[in-house]
Amino acid sequence: MREFAALFHDLDSLTKTNDRLDRLVQYFKDAPGEDSIWVCWFLSGNRIKGAVKTGELRNFIAARANLPVWLIEECHDRVGDLAETISLLAGSKSKKSNLGLNDTIRKYLLPLRGQDTQERKVLLERTWDHLSADEMLPFHKLLTGGFRMGVSKGNLCKALARVGNVEPAVISQRIAGNWTCDDLTMQEILNPVGENEGRGKPFPFCLASPLQEDPGTLGEVVDWQVEWKWDGIRAQLLTTTAGGGMLWSRGEESIAESFPELLECIPYLPAGTCLDGEILAWGREGLRSFSRLQKRLGRKNPSSTIQKKEPVCFQAYDLLRMNGEDLRSLSMLERRAKLEFLMQGLPEHLPLRISPEVNEKTWSDLGKRREESRERGVEGFMLKRKNSKYESGRIKGAWYKWKVDPFLADMVVVSAQLGHGKRANLYSDYSLAVWNESGELVTVAKAYSGLTNEEIEKVDKFVRKNITGKFGPVRSVKPKLVFEIAFEGVQASGRHKSGVALRFPRIHRWRNDKKIEDADHLSTIRGFAGMNEKGKLGDGTKIDSAGNLLLF
Amino acid sequence: MKNEVLELRREGIFCPAGGFYIDPRGKVDRALITHAHSDHGRPGHNSYLCSDTCKSLLKIRIGKDAVVESLPFGEKIKIGNSLVSFHPAGHILGSAQIRVEVNGRVWVVSGDYKPQEDQTCEPFELVKCNGFITECTFGLPVYRWLPEEKIHQQINEWWLENKQDDKPSLLFSYSLGKAQRVLAGLRKEIGSIYVHSAVYPFLEHYEQAGIKLPQVMKIERGKEYDFNGSIIIAPPAVEDSTWTRKFRSARKGFASGWMAIRGARRRRNLDRGFILSDHADWNGLIDVIKGTGAEEIKVTHGNGDALTRYLGEQGMNCSILSGASIRGEEEE
Repeated sequence: MREFAALFHDLDSLTKTNDRLDRLVQYFKDAPGEDSIWVCWFLSGNRIKGAVKTGELRNFIAARANLPVWLIEECHDRVGDLAETISLLAGSKSKKSNLGLNDTIRKYLLPLRGQDTQERKVLLERTWDHLSADEMLPFHKLLTGGFRMGVSKGNLCKALARVGNVEPAVISQRIAGNWTCDDLTMQEILNPVGENEGRGKPFPFCLASPLQEDPGTLGEVVDWQVEWKWDGIRAQLLTTTAGGGMLWSRGEESIAESFPELLECIPYLPAGTCLDGEILAWGREGLRSFSRLQKRLGRKNPSSTIQKKEPVCFQAYDLLRMNGEDLRSLSMLERRAKLEFLMQGLPEHLPLRISPEVNEKTWSDLGKRREESRERGVEGFMLKRKNSKYESGRIKGAWYKWKVDPFLADMVVVSAQLGHGKRANLYSDYSLAVWNESGELVTVAKAYSGLTNEEIEKVDKFVRKNITGKFGPVRSVKPKLVFEIAFEGVQASGRHKSGVALRFPRIHRWRNDKKIEDADHLSTIRGFAGMNEKGKLGDGTKIDSAGNLLLF
Repeated sequence: MKNEVLELRREGIFCPAGGFYIDPRGKVDRALITHAHSDHGRPGHNSYLCSDTCKSLLKIRIGKDAVVESLPFGEKIKIGNSLVSFHPAGHILGSAQIRVEVNGRVWVVSGDYKPQEDQTCEPFELVKCNGFITECTFGLPVYRWLPEEKIHQQINEWWLENKQDDKPSLLFSYSLGKAQRVLAGLRKEIGSIYVHSAVYPFLEHYEQAGIKLPQVMKIERGKEYDFNGSIIIAPPAVEDSTWTRKFRSARKGFASGWMAIRGARRRRNLDRGFILSDHADWNGLIDVIKGTGAEEIKVTHGNGDALTRYLGEQGMNCSILSGASIRGEEEE
């Protein structure tokens, strides 16, 4: 545990990505495999679930520190991180522990699962007596599950690639998906030879960068494959060489159980095939809104009723493997040709479609077509360079998303909350309001991102001086600040007093030049979605048969 | 607040029996000053009274020509119908708690204080009283300080490590009090010590008061220096200024109680935070407040809500000094 604690604190204090990478490589070279594998597992985004509840942890530490529970909550608010709060309050008595990471997890962490509260308390008390001051925070990070240490999965793969002298893409595939430290070893991850494709793992997804320049700077239109940018869930649908099949989300979670109808396509696809595409809500009338798809999310083994009511399809736009052959180094053009050929041969009743190409002769013609986006329920265009390979991650120049311009509205900050992590102890999360018909400010959104660090500090100072009330962790503030908020759509909502909620709200800029009287009205926001004053839908709005407001 | 000894006026805490203010704002006739930090000792008043060791430091803040009288610690004088004395607060050199007695009732205004040890100032003295006005900069139990020699050791190890990497160590610390405390703990055999020009003027007054500080060099504008391997002490206010640009290769640290929380350090993009504070930590606040034996506690400075509620639940008569200046949390 000492080596791991040292790694944790070093990564925490190193500010440059390369230094962190070097430090991680050093750890993997020095640490025993039984410890390293846990680091791989955690940095892959896994967490130990059900070890302890947040409320229990607060109660235990309150009892240990002899403090009231409300004071623990105040501390948590200030610190902005539960693991750190507990570490600061637990008060280490031990100088050094001699257990390794694997032993610590197996002795102190895993046994917490399935215990009752009293047993957990006893076990945690013992753990706190045992851990040294430096080990407290890393341990509690593992316990509460917020373990990232600013190392992305991509950087983890890079570090492992350097240790094992294996391609990062190969590493990435080996540690993808669901696995535990009992069924994968460091030797397997770092093996310079060997192929894992039989296990049905996804490939690292190729990601698009937002197009910030004029599309004309990209060169000739004919060099680009243009598709609509679908608003669904990115996924890979694949068949293994052994004849099985899997469905993976972009977060590399297996989502097959949520979409059994998509797995019905498996027997029709050649063995060793991997399709990249988007899961969409798709009824008899065609594409449905993302809010329809949300009814299927997180729901495992859906009933046949819901499968009928909320049907989905897999819209394929890339072919990464066929007949066990990795096609990722072929050009987009060649992969597209193979994809079209494959799709033509499939029976029509399958919930499987191909993402159509949009062909226009000039960028300006494309620009005009892009204006159809909201009408069509898509987010704009995807631009894929025809001669590009299928890359891992976000490689500039290969794929771009050319999104429609967001909606914009001026809103007033009416309350604020302390942020987390880097923004702990800074009022950086804001509730935003617009004027309603009776001249009241009603909240329509919460936004966290979009301001520069200097601006956040300024807003924080303003908030501290202008607090008008406290509601748990939320501080209402004197209405004064006006932000321009960008958002992608409007949905009816019972959560906000205004009756609407915004999709992807973020701060576009701080309107220092505007007074609160200049902020927008609720009617304007409703107008974006075509709603009338009562929050009911007016004429000409798009609504589906189940009463869902269509977003665009 | 209004009691038989003190009341709160627009300019600050006032003693009607003595006709004086403590750490006032604006312009008043008689100002008693707890210590020489700029949010306590402000310029513009007609006359000042402070502790002997505070006097020369205060004059740097408020100007040479200001009328400043001083008293040795512990000596009682009569002002009007009140009896006044200064007692060490352990915050910085010359910092005092001010004890005011009227008709046998005693109130103590703490200013800022710290019961923890500090070799660069007079040690904190616990003063019994009926009413106590306490600061509350670090009023949550997550703030707990380690002994200062531990922190000095951390700073020296960090400096040595940076020196071995041939890099300068740029350590931000407030120019009065913290900077001298940091300097006093540095092992001068590691390398050269430089200070920013805002830190320098205070040093001679520390030496005159008998505080041992290592030999330092003042960084002058326009001169060239080789900073590799050396440590530079500068106030945090210059962190984002052009001055700091010449230390691009430096490792940067900050010595402050705020560094107890990771977010505070990470937000500033610092390499290291050293948890060294001139204020009482949570346990320090509780021990002192209980130790004074006061029947009434008033809390000022910082976020006093948690401390007030906590002491209230323990049956103490404790409340926020409403209307008093609530200082920004950044300052220390």
